[in-house]
Amino acid sequence: MLKIKDLVKTYGKFVAVNNLNLEIPQGEIYGFVGPNGAGKTTTMKIISGLLTATSGEVMVDNVDVTRNSRKIKESIGYMPDFFGVYDDLKVTEYLDFYASIYKIKEKERKKITDDLLELVDLSNKRESYVDSLSRGMKQRLCLARSLIHNPKLLILDEPASGLDPRARVEMKEILRNLKDMGKTILISSHILSELAELCTHIGIIDNGKMVISGSVSEIMQQVYSSRVIKLKVNDKLEQAEMVLKEFPNIDKITLGENTIQAGFEGSDQDMSRILATLVTRGIPVVTFSQLDGNLEDVFMKVTRGGEVQ
Amino acid sequence: MNINPVLLKEAKVRMRGWRAAGIVALYLVILALVTIFVAYDSYNNIYSSTIDPGRSVGTYSALAVIQFILILFIAPALTAGAISGEREKQTLDLLLCTKLPTRSIILGKLVASISQIILLIIASLPVFSVIFMFGGISIAEIAQLFMFYIITAIAAGSIGIFYSSHMKKTTASTVLTYGTGAFMILGTLFIAWIYMGIFRDNNYKEIFPLLYANPLVGFVSLISEQFGGQGSLAGFLPGIGRTYTGTTKGMSPWIINLIFDGALTVLLITLSARKINPVKRKISIFKKKKI
Repeated sequence: MLKIKDLVKTYGKFVAVNNLNLEIPQGEIYGFVGPNGAGKTTTMKIISGLLTATSGEVMVDNVDVTRNSRKIKESIGYMPDFFGVYDDLKVTEYLDFYASIYKIKEKERKKITDDLLELVDLSNKRESYVDSLSRGMKQRLCLARSLIHNPKLLILDEPASGLDPRARVEMKEILRNLKDMGKTILISSHILSELAELCTHIGIIDNGKMVISGSVSEIMQQVYSSRVIKLKVNDKLEQAEMVLKEFPNIDKITLGENTIQAGFEGSDQDMSRILATLVTRGIPVVTFSQLDGNLEDVFMKVTRGGEVQ
Repeated sequence: MNINPVLLKEAKVRMRGWRAAGIVALYLVILALVTIFVAYDSYNNIYSSTIDPGRSVGTYSALAVIQFILILFIAPALTAGAISGEREKQTLDLLLCTKLPTRSIILGKLVASISQIILLIIASLPVFSVIFMFGGISIAEIAQLFMFYIITAIAAGSIGIFYSSHMKKTTASTVLTYGTGAFMILGTLFIAWIYMGIFRDNNYKEIFPLLYANPLVGFVSLISEQFGGQGSLAGFLPGIGRTYTGTTKGMSPWIINLIFDGALTVLLITLSARKINPVKRKISIFKKKKI
Protein backbone atom coordinates (compact mmCIF):
# COMPACT_ATOMS: atom_id res chain seq x y z
CA MET A 1 0.00 0.00 0.00
CA LEU A 2 2.80 2.43 0.94
CA LYS A 3 6.30 2.24 -0.43
CA ILE A 4 8.99 4.79 0.34
CA LYS A 5 12.31 4.54 -1.43
CA ASP A 6 15.43 6.57 -0.63
CA LEU A 7 13.41 9.51 0.66
CA VAL A 8 15.43 12.64 1.40
CA LYS A 9 14.19 15.98 2.70
CA THR A 10 16.59 18.79 3.38
CA TYR A 11 16.10 22.34 4.64
CA GLY A 12 19.24 24.13 3.53
CA LYS A 13 22.06 22.15 5.08
CA PHE A 14 19.81 20.44 7.60
CA VAL A 15 18.82 16.92 6.62
CA ALA A 16 15.38 16.17 8.08
CA VAL A 17 14.92 12.81 6.36
CA ASN A 18 17.93 10.88 5.19
CA ASN A 19 17.50 8.04 2.67
CA LEU A 20 14.45 6.61 4.33
CA ASN A 21 13.05 3.33 3.06
CA LEU A 22 9.75 1.91 4.20
CA GLU A 23 7.11 -0.49 3.01
CA ILE A 24 3.69 -1.15 4.49
CA PRO A 25 1.52 -3.92 3.07
CA GLN A 26 -2.23 -3.39 2.84
CA GLY A 27 -4.16 -3.85 6.07
CA GLU A 28 -1.14 -3.51 8.30
CA ILE A 29 -0.59 -1.04 11.11
CA TYR A 30 2.86 0.44 11.07
CA GLY A 31 4.13 2.18 14.17
CA PHE A 32 6.52 5.01 13.41
CA VAL A 33 8.66 5.63 16.46
CA GLY A 34 11.35 8.19 17.08
CA PRO A 35 12.43 11.00 19.37
CA ASN A 36 11.27 14.57 18.76
CA GLY A 37 12.76 16.01 15.59
CA ALA A 38 13.62 12.59 14.22
CA GLY A 39 11.74 13.22 10.97
CA LYS A 40 8.45 11.43 11.62
CA THR A 41 6.14 14.38 10.92
CA THR A 42 8.22 15.47 7.90
CA THR A 43 7.91 11.98 6.41
CA MET A 44 4.18 11.90 7.11
CA LYS A 45 3.68 15.32 5.54
CA ILE A 46 5.54 14.23 2.42
CA ILE A 47 3.31 11.17 2.11
CA SER A 48 0.22 13.35 2.59
CA GLY A 49 1.32 15.80 -0.10
CA LEU A 50 1.92 18.66 2.32
CA LEU A 51 5.64 18.79 1.66
CA THR A 52 7.74 17.98 -1.35
CA ALA A 53 10.63 15.60 -1.02
CA THR A 54 14.10 16.73 -1.99
CA SER A 55 14.63 13.35 -3.62
CA GLY A 56 13.32 9.82 -3.44
CA GLU A 57 10.06 8.17 -4.25
CA VAL A 58 6.80 7.77 -2.35
CA MET A 59 4.21 5.43 -3.81
CA VAL A 60 0.74 5.04 -2.36
CA ASP A 61 -1.30 2.26 -3.88
CA ASN A 62 1.23 2.17 -6.76
CA VAL A 63 0.72 5.87 -7.52
CA ASP A 64 3.58 8.36 -7.22
CA VAL A 65 2.70 10.97 -4.60
CA THR A 66 4.68 13.82 -6.15
CA ARG A 67 3.42 13.29 -9.69
CA ASN A 68 -0.22 12.69 -8.82
CA SER A 69 -0.65 14.70 -5.67
CA ARG A 70 -4.36 15.39 -6.25
CA LYS A 71 -5.27 11.83 -7.12
CA ILE A 72 -3.36 10.46 -4.19
CA LYS A 73 -5.26 12.62 -1.74
CA GLU A 74 -8.36 10.52 -2.31
CA SER A 75 -6.51 7.49 -0.96
CA ILE A 76 -5.03 9.18 2.10
CA GLY A 77 -6.59 10.30 5.35
CA TYR A 78 -4.22 12.51 7.30
CA MET A 79 -4.57 13.41 10.94
CA PRO A 80 -1.93 15.86 12.17
CA ASP A 81 -0.63 16.09 15.71
CA PHE A 82 -2.86 19.11 16.39
CA PHE A 83 -6.64 19.40 16.43
CA GLY A 84 -7.29 21.59 13.41
CA VAL A 85 -10.97 22.13 14.00
CA TYR A 86 -13.27 25.04 13.21
CA ASP A 87 -14.66 26.09 16.57
CA ASP A 88 -17.55 27.99 15.02
CA LEU A 89 -19.04 24.93 13.34
CA LYS A 90 -21.21 22.18 14.77
CA VAL A 91 -19.83 18.64 14.78
CA THR A 92 -22.05 17.54 11.86
CA GLU A 93 -21.32 20.74 9.93
CA TYR A 94 -17.61 20.15 10.37
CA LEU A 95 -17.81 16.67 8.87
CA ASP A 96 -20.27 17.84 6.22
CA PHE A 97 -17.80 20.51 5.12
CA TYR A 98 -15.06 17.96 4.47
CA ALA A 99 -17.55 15.58 2.86
CA SER A 100 -18.50 18.34 0.41
CA ILE A 101 -14.81 18.89 -0.41
CA TYR A 102 -14.62 15.24 -1.48
CA LYS A 103 -17.82 15.76 -3.50
CA ILE A 104 -19.75 13.16 -1.52
CA LYS A 105 -23.40 13.42 -2.53
CA GLU A 106 -25.62 15.18 -0.05
CA LYS A 107 -27.88 12.14 0.32
CA GLU A 108 -24.94 9.96 1.34
CA ARG A 109 -23.35 12.51 3.65
CA LYS A 110 -25.78 12.03 6.53
CA LYS A 111 -25.26 8.29 6.66
CA ILE A 112 -21.48 8.61 6.42
CA THR A 113 -21.46 11.30 9.10
CA ASP A 114 -23.68 9.20 11.38
CA ASP A 115 -21.52 6.11 10.90
CA LEU A 116 -18.32 8.01 11.58
CA LEU A 117 -19.73 9.70 14.66
CA GLU A 118 -20.76 6.30 15.94
CA LEU A 119 -17.31 4.90 15.21
CA VAL A 120 -15.62 7.67 17.20
CA ASP A 121 -18.35 7.64 19.85
CA LEU A 122 -19.54 11.20 19.26
CA SER A 123 -23.12 10.47 18.19
CA ASN A 124 -24.48 12.29 21.22
CA LYS A 125 -22.45 15.40 20.34
CA ARG A 126 -23.59 15.75 16.75
CA GLU A 127 -25.35 19.08 17.30
CA SER A 128 -22.74 20.50 19.66
CA TYR A 129 -20.36 23.20 18.59
CA VAL A 130 -16.81 21.92 18.11
CA ASP A 131 -15.71 24.60 20.56
CA SER A 132 -17.57 22.84 23.38
CA LEU A 133 -15.85 19.46 22.90
CA SER A 134 -13.14 18.14 25.18
CA ARG A 135 -9.60 17.58 23.90
CA GLY A 136 -10.16 13.85 23.48
CA MET A 137 -13.44 14.44 21.64
CA LYS A 138 -11.81 16.95 19.29
CA GLN A 139 -9.09 14.41 18.59
CA ARG A 140 -11.71 11.78 17.79
CA LEU A 141 -13.59 14.24 15.59
CA CYS A 142 -10.36 14.93 13.76
CA LEU A 143 -9.98 11.20 13.21
CA ALA A 144 -13.54 11.02 11.88
CA ARG A 145 -12.68 13.83 9.48
CA SER A 146 -9.69 11.96 8.16
CA LEU A 147 -11.99 9.00 7.44
CA ILE A 148 -14.76 10.96 5.70
CA HIS A 149 -13.74 9.89 2.17
CA ASN A 150 -13.05 6.30 3.17
CA PRO A 151 -9.31 6.41 2.50
CA LYS A 152 -7.25 3.27 2.04
CA LEU A 153 -4.29 4.66 3.95
CA LEU A 154 -4.53 6.50 7.25
CA ILE A 155 -1.66 8.65 8.43
CA LEU A 156 -1.99 9.46 12.08
CA ASP A 157 0.59 11.75 13.62
CA GLU A 158 0.66 11.18 17.36
CA PRO A 159 -3.09 10.65 17.68
CA ALA A 160 -2.88 9.98 21.41
CA SER A 161 -0.66 12.90 22.37
CA GLY A 162 -2.00 15.10 25.12
CA LEU A 163 -4.90 12.78 25.89
CA ASP A 164 -5.76 11.52 29.35
CA PRO A 165 -5.50 7.75 29.97
CA ARG A 166 -9.21 7.16 29.37
CA ALA A 167 -9.16 9.06 26.07
CA ARG A 168 -6.07 7.10 25.06
CA VAL A 169 -7.81 3.82 25.69
CA GLU A 170 -10.78 5.03 23.64
CA MET A 171 -8.51 6.12 20.79
CA LYS A 172 -6.73 2.76 20.88
CA GLU A 173 -10.08 0.99 20.69
CA ILE A 174 -11.08 3.01 17.62
CA LEU A 175 -7.78 2.24 15.93
CA ARG A 176 -8.34 -1.47 16.61
CA ASN A 177 -11.73 -1.17 14.91
CA LEU A 178 -10.11 0.53 11.93
CA LYS A 179 -7.57 -2.28 11.76
CA ASP A 180 -10.45 -4.77 11.70
CA MET A 181 -12.00 -2.76 8.87
CA GLY A 182 -8.87 -3.45 6.85
CA LYS A 183 -7.40 0.04 6.82
CA THR A 184 -3.68 0.44 6.34
CA ILE A 185 -2.43 2.72 9.09
CA LEU A 186 0.82 4.58 9.60
CA ILE A 187 0.85 5.84 13.15
CA SER A 188 3.48 7.75 15.04
CA SER A 189 3.60 7.89 18.77
CA HIS A 190 5.82 8.25 21.77
CA ILE A 191 3.76 5.77 23.72
CA LEU A 192 5.73 2.77 22.61
CA SER A 193 3.99 0.15 24.70
CA GLU A 194 0.68 1.10 23.08
CA LEU A 195 2.20 0.80 19.63
CA ALA A 196 3.56 -2.64 20.43
CA GLU A 197 0.06 -3.83 21.31
CA LEU A 198 -1.54 -2.22 18.30
CA CYS A 199 0.97 -2.42 15.47
CA THR A 200 1.93 -5.28 13.24
CA HIS A 201 5.13 -3.54 12.22
CA ILE A 202 7.38 -0.97 13.84
CA GLY A 203 9.97 1.37 12.43
CA ILE A 204 12.33 3.37 14.59
CA ILE A 205 13.61 6.59 13.05
CA ASP A 206 16.37 8.73 14.46
CA ASN A 207 18.08 11.79 12.97
CA GLY A 208 16.09 11.26 9.78
CA LYS A 209 17.35 7.72 9.30
CA MET A 210 15.39 4.52 9.70
CA VAL A 211 17.35 2.71 12.36
CA ILE A 212 15.36 -0.47 12.41
CA SER A 213 12.16 -1.67 10.77
CA GLY A 214 10.12 -4.86 10.77
CA SER A 215 7.54 -6.79 12.73
CA VAL A 216 7.64 -6.32 16.49
CA SER A 217 9.10 -9.80 17.06
CA GLU A 218 11.67 -9.31 14.28
CA ILE A 219 12.81 -6.10 15.86
CA MET A 220 13.11 -7.74 19.25
CA GLN A 221 15.17 -10.47 17.65
CA GLN A 222 17.37 -8.01 15.78
CA VAL A 223 17.99 -5.87 18.81
CA TYR A 224 18.43 -8.67 21.29
CA SER A 225 20.77 -11.20 19.72
CA SER A 226 19.28 -13.93 21.93
CA ARG A 227 15.87 -14.51 23.42
CA VAL A 228 15.41 -15.00 27.14
CA ILE A 229 13.47 -17.96 28.51
CA LYS A 230 12.19 -18.24 32.03
CA LEU A 231 10.94 -21.33 33.79
CA LYS A 232 9.54 -22.01 37.21
CA VAL A 233 9.79 -25.40 38.86
CA ASN A 234 8.25 -26.88 41.99
CA ASP A 235 11.38 -28.83 42.84
CA LYS A 236 14.63 -30.18 41.35
CA LEU A 237 16.06 -26.76 40.47
CA GLU A 238 19.66 -28.03 40.14
CA GLN A 239 18.53 -30.96 37.97
CA ALA A 240 16.68 -28.57 35.70
CA GLU A 241 19.83 -26.47 35.37
CA MET A 242 21.82 -29.56 34.40
CA VAL A 243 19.28 -30.45 31.72
CA LEU A 244 19.41 -26.93 30.27
CA LYS A 245 23.22 -26.99 30.15
CA GLU A 246 23.00 -29.99 27.83
CA PHE A 247 21.62 -27.73 25.11
CA PRO A 248 24.31 -25.88 23.18
CA ASN A 249 21.96 -23.01 22.25
CA ILE A 250 21.39 -22.07 25.90
CA ASP A 251 23.74 -19.78 27.83
CA LYS A 252 23.86 -17.28 30.69
CA ILE A 253 21.82 -19.37 33.09
CA THR A 254 20.83 -17.57 36.26
CA LEU A 255 19.06 -19.24 39.15
CA GLY A 256 16.43 -17.67 41.30
CA GLU A 257 14.11 -19.06 43.98
CA ASN A 258 12.45 -21.93 42.04
CA THR A 259 13.09 -20.03 38.80
CA ILE A 260 15.67 -20.21 36.06
CA GLN A 261 16.37 -17.56 33.48
CA ALA A 262 18.57 -18.31 30.48
CA GLY A 263 19.65 -16.86 27.18
CA PHE A 264 18.48 -18.83 24.18
CA GLU A 265 19.18 -18.78 20.49
CA GLY A 266 16.96 -20.91 18.33
CA SER A 267 13.56 -21.51 16.87
CA ASP A 268 10.21 -22.11 18.55
CA GLN A 269 10.65 -25.84 17.80
CA ASP A 270 13.93 -25.80 19.70
CA MET A 271 12.13 -24.25 22.63
CA SER A 272 9.42 -26.91 22.65
CA ARG A 273 12.14 -29.59 22.53
CA ILE A 274 13.76 -28.14 25.64
CA LEU A 275 10.43 -28.13 27.45
CA ALA A 276 9.70 -31.73 26.39
CA THR A 277 13.16 -32.88 27.63
CA LEU A 278 12.62 -31.18 30.99
CA VAL A 279 9.25 -32.88 31.44
CA THR A 280 10.45 -36.35 30.34
CA ARG A 281 13.38 -36.07 32.80
CA GLY A 282 10.81 -35.62 35.55
CA ILE A 283 11.34 -31.93 36.25
CA PRO A 284 8.10 -30.53 37.75
CA VAL A 285 7.80 -27.49 35.41
CA VAL A 286 5.17 -25.00 36.56
CA THR A 287 5.70 -22.32 33.88
CA PHE A 288 7.92 -22.10 30.81
CA SER A 289 7.91 -18.91 28.80
CA GLN A 290 9.89 -16.50 26.70
CA LEU A 291 10.45 -13.05 28.19
CA ASP A 292 9.29 -10.35 25.82
CA GLY A 293 11.71 -7.48 25.44
CA ASN A 294 10.27 -4.08 26.26
CA LEU A 295 9.84 -1.81 23.24
CA GLU A 296 11.03 1.13 25.31
CA ASP A 297 14.26 -0.76 25.93
CA VAL A 298 14.58 -1.39 22.20
CA PHE A 299 13.98 2.29 21.52
CA MET A 300 16.60 3.37 24.02
CA LYS A 301 19.02 0.78 22.75
CA VAL A 302 18.85 1.82 19.10
CA THR A 303 18.59 5.58 19.64
CA ARG A 304 20.85 6.15 22.60
CA GLY A 305 21.55 9.84 23.10
CA GLY A 306 20.41 10.56 19.59
CA GLU A 307 23.21 8.45 18.19
CA VAL A 308 22.38 5.48 16.07
CA GLN A 309 23.74 2.31 17.56
CA MET B 1 -24.44 22.41 -9.08
CA ASN B 2 -21.16 22.27 -7.21
CA ILE B 3 -20.69 25.34 -5.08
CA ASN B 4 -17.22 25.92 -3.71
CA PRO B 5 -17.29 24.19 -0.26
CA VAL B 6 -15.03 26.83 1.29
CA LEU B 7 -17.42 29.55 0.11
CA LEU B 8 -20.41 27.68 1.54
CA LYS B 9 -18.71 27.11 4.86
CA GLU B 10 -17.51 30.71 5.09
CA ALA B 11 -20.94 32.05 4.19
CA LYS B 12 -22.53 29.87 6.87
CA VAL B 13 -20.07 30.92 9.55
CA ARG B 14 -19.99 34.61 8.60
CA MET B 15 -23.75 34.95 8.51
CA ARG B 16 -24.23 33.12 11.82
CA GLY B 17 -25.15 35.11 14.90
CA TRP B 18 -25.54 38.85 15.32
CA ARG B 19 -22.16 39.90 13.96
CA ALA B 20 -23.13 39.99 10.28
CA ALA B 21 -26.45 41.71 10.99
CA GLY B 22 -24.64 44.12 13.30
CA ILE B 23 -22.15 45.10 10.59
CA VAL B 24 -24.97 45.72 8.09
CA ALA B 25 -26.91 47.73 10.67
CA LEU B 26 -23.90 49.86 11.62
CA TYR B 27 -23.05 50.41 7.96
CA LEU B 28 -26.56 51.54 7.13
CA VAL B 29 -26.74 53.78 10.18
CA ILE B 30 -23.57 55.59 9.05
CA LEU B 31 -24.90 56.00 5.50
CA ALA B 32 -28.34 57.04 6.70
CA LEU B 33 -26.89 59.67 9.06
CA VAL B 34 -24.83 61.14 6.23
CA THR B 35 -27.91 61.19 3.97
CA ILE B 36 -30.09 62.84 6.62
CA PHE B 37 -27.43 65.43 7.31
CA VAL B 38 -26.94 66.31 3.62
CA ALA B 39 -30.67 66.23 2.80
CA TYR B 40 -31.51 68.37 5.85
CA ASP B 41 -28.88 70.87 4.74
CA SER B 42 -30.45 71.00 1.26
CA TYR B 43 -33.98 71.53 2.61
CA ASN B 44 -32.84 74.37 4.81
CA ASN B 45 -31.23 76.28 2.00
CA ILE B 46 -32.87 79.70 2.40
CA TYR B 47 -32.12 80.69 -1.16
CA SER B 48 -34.23 77.93 -2.65
CA SER B 49 -37.96 77.44 -2.37
CA THR B 50 -38.14 74.28 -4.49
CA ILE B 51 -36.16 71.05 -4.64
CA ASP B 52 -33.32 71.57 -7.06
CA PRO B 53 -32.17 68.48 -9.02
CA GLY B 54 -28.66 69.94 -9.02
CA ARG B 55 -28.64 69.55 -5.27
CA SER B 56 -28.73 65.77 -5.61
CA VAL B 57 -25.12 66.07 -6.81
CA GLY B 58 -24.09 66.95 -3.28
CA THR B 59 -26.11 64.17 -1.64
CA TYR B 60 -25.01 61.62 -4.22
CA SER B 61 -21.35 62.63 -3.94
CA ALA B 62 -21.45 62.52 -0.15
CA LEU B 63 -23.07 59.07 -0.12
CA ALA B 64 -20.76 57.76 -2.82
CA VAL B 65 -17.67 59.02 -1.00
CA ILE B 66 -18.74 57.61 2.36
CA GLN B 67 -19.59 54.23 0.79
CA PHE B 68 -16.27 54.23 -1.10
CA ILE B 69 -14.29 54.91 2.09
CA LEU B 70 -16.22 52.27 4.03
CA ILE B 71 -15.62 49.66 1.32
CA LEU B 72 -11.91 50.47 1.16
CA PHE B 73 -11.70 49.95 4.91
CA ILE B 74 -13.90 46.87 5.14
CA ALA B 75 -12.69 44.80 2.15
CA PRO B 76 -9.09 44.33 3.37
CA ALA B 77 -10.29 43.67 6.91
CA LEU B 78 -12.46 40.82 5.68
CA THR B 79 -9.70 39.14 3.68
CA ALA B 80 -6.43 39.97 5.46
CA GLY B 81 -6.98 37.08 7.87
CA ALA B 82 -8.52 34.66 5.42
CA ILE B 83 -5.54 32.34 4.93
CA SER B 84 -3.34 33.37 7.86
CA GLY B 85 -6.36 32.78 10.10
CA GLU B 86 -6.57 29.21 8.79
CA ARG B 87 -2.87 28.88 9.52
CA GLU B 88 -3.33 30.19 13.05
CA LYS B 89 -6.23 27.81 13.64
CA GLN B 90 -4.07 25.01 12.22
CA THR B 91 -6.74 24.13 9.69
CA LEU B 92 -4.88 25.12 6.52
CA ASP B 93 -2.94 21.85 6.32
CA LEU B 94 -6.20 19.96 6.64
CA LEU B 95 -7.59 21.82 3.64
CA LEU B 96 -4.38 21.36 1.68
CA CYS B 97 -4.30 17.61 2.22
CA THR B 98 -7.75 17.28 0.66
CA LYS B 99 -8.19 17.16 -3.09
CA LEU B 100 -9.49 20.75 -3.14
CA PRO B 101 -7.28 22.82 -5.49
CA THR B 102 -5.51 25.73 -3.83
CA ARG B 103 -7.12 28.24 -6.20
CA SER B 104 -10.55 27.01 -4.99
CA ILE B 105 -9.51 27.70 -1.41
CA ILE B 106 -8.35 31.21 -2.35
CA LEU B 107 -11.39 31.95 -4.51
CA GLY B 108 -13.78 30.54 -1.88
CA LYS B 109 -12.28 32.82 0.73
CA LEU B 110 -12.27 35.86 -1.55
CA VAL B 111 -15.79 35.40 -2.86
CA ALA B 112 -17.12 34.83 0.69
CA SER B 113 -15.60 38.13 1.78
CA ILE B 114 -16.73 39.98 -1.32
CA SER B 115 -20.25 38.56 -0.87
CA GLN B 116 -20.37 40.27 2.47
CA ILE B 117 -19.40 43.55 0.83
CA ILE B 118 -21.95 43.03 -1.94
CA LEU B 119 -24.52 42.48 0.80
CA LEU B 120 -23.55 45.85 2.30
CA ILE B 121 -23.75 47.52 -1.12
CA ILE B 122 -27.18 46.03 -1.87
CA ALA B 123 -28.38 46.89 1.62
CA SER B 124 -27.40 50.49 0.95
CA LEU B 125 -29.68 50.74 -2.12
CA PRO B 126 -32.70 52.07 -0.18
CA VAL B 127 -30.48 54.81 1.27
CA PHE B 128 -29.22 55.70 -2.21
CA SER B 129 -32.81 55.83 -3.49
CA VAL B 130 -33.21 59.08 -1.56
CA ILE B 131 -31.33 60.69 -4.45
CA PHE B 132 -34.26 59.95 -6.77
CA MET B 133 -36.33 62.38 -4.70
CA PHE B 134 -34.12 65.16 -6.04
CA GLY B 135 -33.60 63.73 -9.51
CA GLY B 136 -30.54 64.30 -11.68
CA ILE B 137 -29.05 60.81 -11.16
CA SER B 138 -30.17 57.83 -13.23
CA ILE B 139 -30.40 54.20 -12.18
CA ALA B 140 -27.72 53.39 -14.79
CA GLU B 141 -25.32 55.77 -13.09
CA ILE B 142 -25.93 54.20 -9.71
CA ALA B 143 -25.40 50.75 -11.28
CA GLN B 144 -22.14 52.06 -12.77
CA LEU B 145 -21.03 53.29 -9.36
CA PHE B 146 -21.95 49.99 -7.67
CA MET B 147 -20.04 48.04 -10.31
CA PHE B 148 -17.03 50.23 -9.59
CA TYR B 149 -17.43 49.52 -5.86
CA ILE B 150 -17.60 45.76 -6.37
CA ILE B 151 -14.55 45.57 -8.66
CA THR B 152 -12.57 47.85 -6.36
CA ALA B 153 -13.61 45.71 -3.37
CA ILE B 154 -12.48 42.55 -5.19
CA ALA B 155 -9.10 44.13 -5.92
CA ALA B 156 -8.73 45.37 -2.33
CA GLY B 157 -9.81 41.93 -1.12
CA SER B 158 -7.22 40.18 -3.28
CA ILE B 159 -4.49 42.36 -1.79
CA GLY B 160 -5.67 41.12 1.63
CA ILE B 161 -5.73 37.50 0.42
CA PHE B 162 -2.27 37.88 -1.12
CA TYR B 163 -0.67 39.08 2.11
CA SER B 164 -2.70 36.62 4.12
CA SER B 165 -1.33 33.72 2.12
CA HIS B 166 2.22 35.01 2.39
CA MET B 167 2.26 36.03 6.07
CA LYS B 168 2.08 33.66 9.02
CA LYS B 169 0.26 36.11 11.26
CA THR B 170 -2.97 37.96 10.55
CA THR B 171 -1.64 41.09 12.24
CA ALA B 172 1.29 41.34 9.81
CA SER B 173 -1.01 40.62 6.89
CA THR B 174 -3.48 43.31 7.97
CA VAL B 175 -0.75 45.93 8.42
CA LEU B 176 0.74 45.17 4.99
CA THR B 177 -2.68 45.17 3.33
CA TYR B 178 -3.61 48.59 4.69
CA GLY B 179 -0.07 49.82 3.99
CA THR B 180 -0.38 48.79 0.35
CA GLY B 181 -3.83 50.37 0.18
CA ALA B 182 -2.46 53.59 1.63
CA PHE B 183 0.37 53.56 -0.91
CA MET B 184 -2.03 52.97 -3.79
CA ILE B 185 -4.18 55.91 -2.71
CA LEU B 186 -1.85 58.41 -1.06
CA GLY B 187 1.56 57.19 -2.20
CA THR B 188 0.77 57.31 -5.91
CA LEU B 189 -0.80 60.75 -5.47
CA PHE B 190 2.27 62.00 -3.66
CA ILE B 191 4.57 60.66 -6.38
CA ALA B 192 2.31 62.20 -9.04
CA TRP B 193 2.34 65.56 -7.30
CA ILE B 194 6.11 65.54 -7.05
CA TYR B 195 6.48 64.43 -10.65
CA MET B 196 4.08 67.05 -11.92
CA GLY B 197 5.65 69.69 -9.70
CA ILE B 198 8.98 69.08 -11.40
CA PHE B 199 7.93 68.40 -14.99
CA ARG B 200 4.56 70.11 -15.35
CA ASP B 201 4.34 72.83 -17.93
CA ASN B 202 1.57 74.24 -20.00
CA ASN B 203 1.78 71.41 -22.52
CA TYR B 204 1.22 68.69 -19.92
CA LYS B 205 -2.28 67.43 -20.56
CA GLU B 206 -1.99 63.76 -19.63
CA ILE B 207 -2.78 61.99 -16.40
CA PHE B 208 0.33 60.64 -14.69
CA PRO B 209 0.30 56.87 -15.57
CA LEU B 210 0.84 55.69 -11.98
CA LEU B 211 -2.46 57.29 -11.03
CA TYR B 212 -4.40 54.79 -13.12
CA ALA B 213 -3.64 52.32 -10.32
CA ASN B 214 -5.16 54.66 -7.75
CA PRO B 215 -8.73 53.66 -6.82
CA LEU B 216 -9.44 57.19 -5.57
CA VAL B 217 -8.52 58.59 -8.98
CA GLY B 218 -10.80 56.04 -10.62
CA PHE B 219 -13.61 56.91 -8.25
CA VAL B 220 -13.23 60.67 -8.68
CA SER B 221 -13.06 60.34 -12.45
CA LEU B 222 -16.22 58.24 -12.46
CA ILE B 223 -18.16 60.72 -10.31
CA SER B 224 -16.85 63.65 -12.37
CA GLU B 225 -17.81 61.92 -15.60
CA GLN B 226 -21.29 61.27 -14.26
CA PHE B 227 -21.60 65.00 -13.59
CA GLY B 228 -20.31 65.87 -17.08
CA GLY B 229 -16.84 66.85 -15.96
CA GLN B 230 -18.14 69.04 -13.16
CA GLY B 231 -17.49 68.58 -9.49
CA SER B 232 -14.99 69.97 -7.05
CA LEU B 233 -13.43 66.58 -6.30
CA ALA B 234 -11.64 66.47 -9.66
CA GLY B 235 -9.76 69.62 -8.82
CA PHE B 236 -7.80 67.84 -6.10
CA LEU B 237 -6.27 65.25 -8.32
CA PRO B 238 -3.48 66.00 -10.79
CA GLY B 239 -4.54 65.45 -14.36
CA ILE B 240 -8.10 64.40 -13.56
CA GLY B 241 -9.60 67.85 -13.85
CA ARG B 242 -8.10 68.31 -17.30
CA THR B 243 -9.34 64.97 -18.50
CA TYR B 244 -12.92 66.18 -18.58
CA THR B 245 -12.35 69.60 -19.94
CA GLY B 246 -11.97 68.21 -23.42
CA THR B 247 -8.19 68.37 -23.49
CA THR B 248 -7.66 64.62 -23.20
CA LYS B 249 -9.19 61.95 -25.35
CA GLY B 250 -9.25 58.18 -24.89
CA MET B 251 -10.47 55.80 -22.24
CA SER B 252 -11.74 57.25 -18.99
CA PRO B 253 -9.36 56.88 -16.04
CA TRP B 254 -11.96 54.94 -14.03
CA ILE B 255 -12.27 52.34 -16.79
CA ILE B 256 -8.47 52.00 -16.96
CA ASN B 257 -8.47 51.76 -13.18
CA LEU B 258 -11.01 48.92 -13.31
CA ILE B 259 -8.97 47.09 -15.96
CA PHE B 260 -5.91 47.51 -13.72
CA ASP B 261 -7.92 46.18 -10.75
CA GLY B 262 -9.01 43.16 -12.78
CA ALA B 263 -5.46 42.36 -13.86
CA LEU B 264 -4.17 42.90 -10.31
CA THR B 265 -6.84 40.57 -8.92
CA VAL B 266 -5.97 37.77 -11.37
CA LEU B 267 -2.26 38.16 -10.63
CA LEU B 268 -2.69 38.21 -6.84
CA ILE B 269 -5.07 35.24 -6.79
CA THR B 270 -2.67 33.23 -8.95
CA LEU B 271 0.30 34.12 -6.72
CA SER B 272 -1.69 33.37 -3.56
CA ALA B 273 -2.85 29.98 -4.86
CA ARG B 274 0.71 29.17 -5.83
CA LYS B 275 2.06 30.28 -2.47
CA ILE B 276 -0.15 27.96 -0.43
CA ASN B 277 0.28 25.03 -2.80
CA PRO B 278 2.59 22.60 -1.01
CA VAL B 279 3.51 20.88 -4.25
CA LYS B 280 4.64 23.86 -6.29
CA ARG B 281 5.37 23.18 -9.90
CA LYS B 282 8.52 24.97 -10.92
CA ILE B 283 8.17 27.42 -13.75
CA SER B 284 10.26 26.08 -16.63
CA ILE B 285 12.60 29.09 -16.87
CA PHE B 286 13.60 28.60 -13.24
CA LYS B 287 14.16 24.87 -13.58
CA LYS B 288 17.71 23.78 -13.05
CA LYS B 289 19.21 22.06 -16.00
CA LYS B 290 20.12 18.45 -15.45
CA ILE B 291 23.82 17.90 -15.73
